[in-house]
Amino acid sequence: MSSPSVTTRSSGSSSRGAASRARRSLTGFLFAVPALALFLVFAIYPGVQVFGLSLFDYSLTSPPVFVGFDNFVFLSTDPRFGEALAQTAFYAVGTYVPALALALVLAQALSTRIRGMGLARLFYFLPLAMSWVAVSIIWRVVLHPDGLLNQVLGLDVNWLTSSDSAKWALVIMSIWKETGFFLILFLAGLASIPPDVYEAARIDGAGAWRRFWYMTFPLLRPVTAVCAIMAILRGMQSFSPQAVLTDGAFGTEVVNLFVYKTAFESARMGRASAVAVLMFVLLLGLALVQLRALRRKD
Amino acid sequence: MTTQRTLAALATASLAVAALAGCSPSGNDGDVTISFWTHTHPPMIEVYETLIDEYEKANPGVTVDYQTIPNNEFNTKMLTSLSNGSGPDIINMDDSALRGDYIPKGLLAPVDPAALGESSVDDVQARYVEGTLEGATGDDGQLYGLPSEFNGTALAINVAHFADAGLDPEVPLETWDDLVAAGQKLAAAGHTQAFSFLYLHSGWYSQQYQTLLHQTGGSIADGDTGTLDSPESVEALQWWADLSGGDKSVGDPNKTSREATVPFQDLATGFQSMGIVYPWAMDQIAETNPETYANLKVVPLPQVDASNPSSRVYAYYWAVNKASKQQEASWKFVQFLSEHSEDFLTGTDFVQPLVGWEQSAAAQDIPFIETWGAAYATGKFDQVTPHYAEVQDAIAEMVNDAVFDGVAVEESAKNASDTVTRILQG
Repeated sequence: MSSPSVTTRSSGSSSRGAASRARRSLTGFLFAVPALALFLVFAIYPGVQVFGLSLFDYSLTSPPVFVGFDNFVFLSTDPRFGEALAQTAFYAVGTYVPALALALVLAQALSTRIRGMGLARLFYFLPLAMSWVAVSIIWRVVLHPDGLLNQVLGLDVNWLTSSDSAKWALVIMSIWKETGFFLILFLAGLASIPPDVYEAARIDGAGAWRRFWYMTFPLLRPVTAVCAIMAILRGMQSFSPQAVLTDGAFGTEVVNLFVYKTAFESARMGRASAVAVLMFVLLLGLALVQLRALRRKD
Repeated sequence: MTTQRTLAALATASLAVAALAGCSPSGNDGDVTISFWTHTHPPMIEVYETLIDEYEKANPGVTVDYQTIPNNEFNTKMLTSLSNGSGPDIINMDDSALRGDYIPKGLLAPVDPAALGESSVDDVQARYVEGTLEGATGDDGQLYGLPSEFNGTALAINVAHFADAGLDPEVPLETWDDLVAAGQKLAAAGHTQAFSFLYLHSGWYSQQYQTLLHQTGGSIADGDTGTLDSPESVEALQWWADLSGGDKSVGDPNKTSREATVPFQDLATGFQSMGIVYPWAMDQIAETNPETYANLKVVPLPQVDASNPSSRVYAYYWAVNKASKQQEASWKFVQFLSEHSEDFLTGTDFVQPLVGWEQSAAAQDIPFIETWGAAYATGKFDQVTPHYAEVQDAIAEMVNDAVFDGVAVEESAKNASDTVTRILQG
């Protein structure tokens, strides 16, 4: 006699639990609605619009004219766009590969518990707290022919007024600015590695390099993967340092600056949208490759 | 690993959104009052605020919503606002933008003679010195604005530096070769940055290059074909390159200030001895560096050919948005502003080229008025083309190649000319 009643109670409690979960989910969803609505209106909708706009010749002040894939055809042979793409790749690789490597080394050094290390960490984080515009203005002074960099290094380089050096000047400045960002992530990653792992390795006679290569580096791989994705994002989205320091002159025009100038200075909205679509496809492809690489490591 | 994949997926999504979100139109309705936008120039803003106050008191019920926009954002903001119908009723814009973009695109209303108190456009034109309205005249022959600021080009020299070098500032520098000779003496006296062009942004490159083009007889384009590689245009670039490097060099362009918010910084601080200036520039230096200003003298611009002098003029105009619902009221306000040309002369050294302007008491008080008058007399407006912003970028790249990167002048000019052709035909 007891079984049916137990079954009934169980079934009733289960359906009450399901109802409660559904209510909670609905409540959670309702809380998310304002943010989702804003995201849809200000991010997704314009994003979708850009796809359509890329097929039009639109100058902001005249009605759009459908041109099919003309914008893409033009871009495929436009040397300025090609140079901007190459410069973006150069900047992303030139800045973020060294920044990641430097951040990893510094994180290793700064994760030791000795007096004054907190201050040292703060010193490395400072550039991160400053805006790109502020950093660029400061570095304009540093990179002046009579500026600090030339004085310290004993050089006579026109950092910002030569096609040979301007792109390197941007890379040097950006490494200085960006290393702190990845340093934070690597420090967090290092803190999550249990100390007994190192203890055991030390007992087994592993030296510092072996501990780093065979233990720290593999255990940091999840953080490194996130850092790599963030690095690609930040590198490909670069705009402010080029806009402030060189305005894209001396071979430093990156794709985002090219898009800005094409859209808002030249009022060629269709062509700028086509670049945005191409970049979307390119970055989506890069991210998917990274996702696949991560899955393989799993 | 699931977390990583989630993070990576989020990164992918944000990447996609970031790549796509830059080019979206947005909308906003206009105002019932007369809206009026200008660029930023503190002495000018002060004059406008005083006059607007006066106008609103004299015309109860009329409100002028005056907004100033930083110079480097002005064109972008104006174009985007006009595209979504939120643009101002009255636009204050330079002649290059008017002739290059605003008039050809049909964004402006032709002048309304009745609202300006005249019976015809001819009567309006008769108020101004001949040729000074060309900057606001369309290919259709219609007039689209009245001048708020008319600028000539001249040379400022630091007489204290000249004295150090044993140079007589009263002896005119008739040609660029004269300037080179003076520059070399200034350098010998320790003023190594004797002269430099300004390298601020492509608009500045373009206007200085066009100053030289007017003198050599060159041009940017003929129809939809670039002409920067024509002999006359190459000669203009050659002068720029010669003055910035090599035997004729009179300053190091690498050391020239690139701070666009203070364009004449090197001249104002006494770092540079000679520089190309406009009336408003002198006004700005007087305000920021009165001690240096006291040593500056404005002289006619040196020429490529002294027997055939030529200079560059440019102007800002008050124009009315074609989409404005208050065009008549807007033109009436413009009329009011144009009746106060002496306030602009006194307050900000802006010349509004009304016939006989130079005879006014306010004009007579402007330092070096004879030099400015002569500059206006030989002045020509810049050539403008469709997609002028891109063409200006091509000119800036050409100058950078020739001056900073050591590319041969002819090669720089040829590359730029091809780029201009591509821009105009693309």
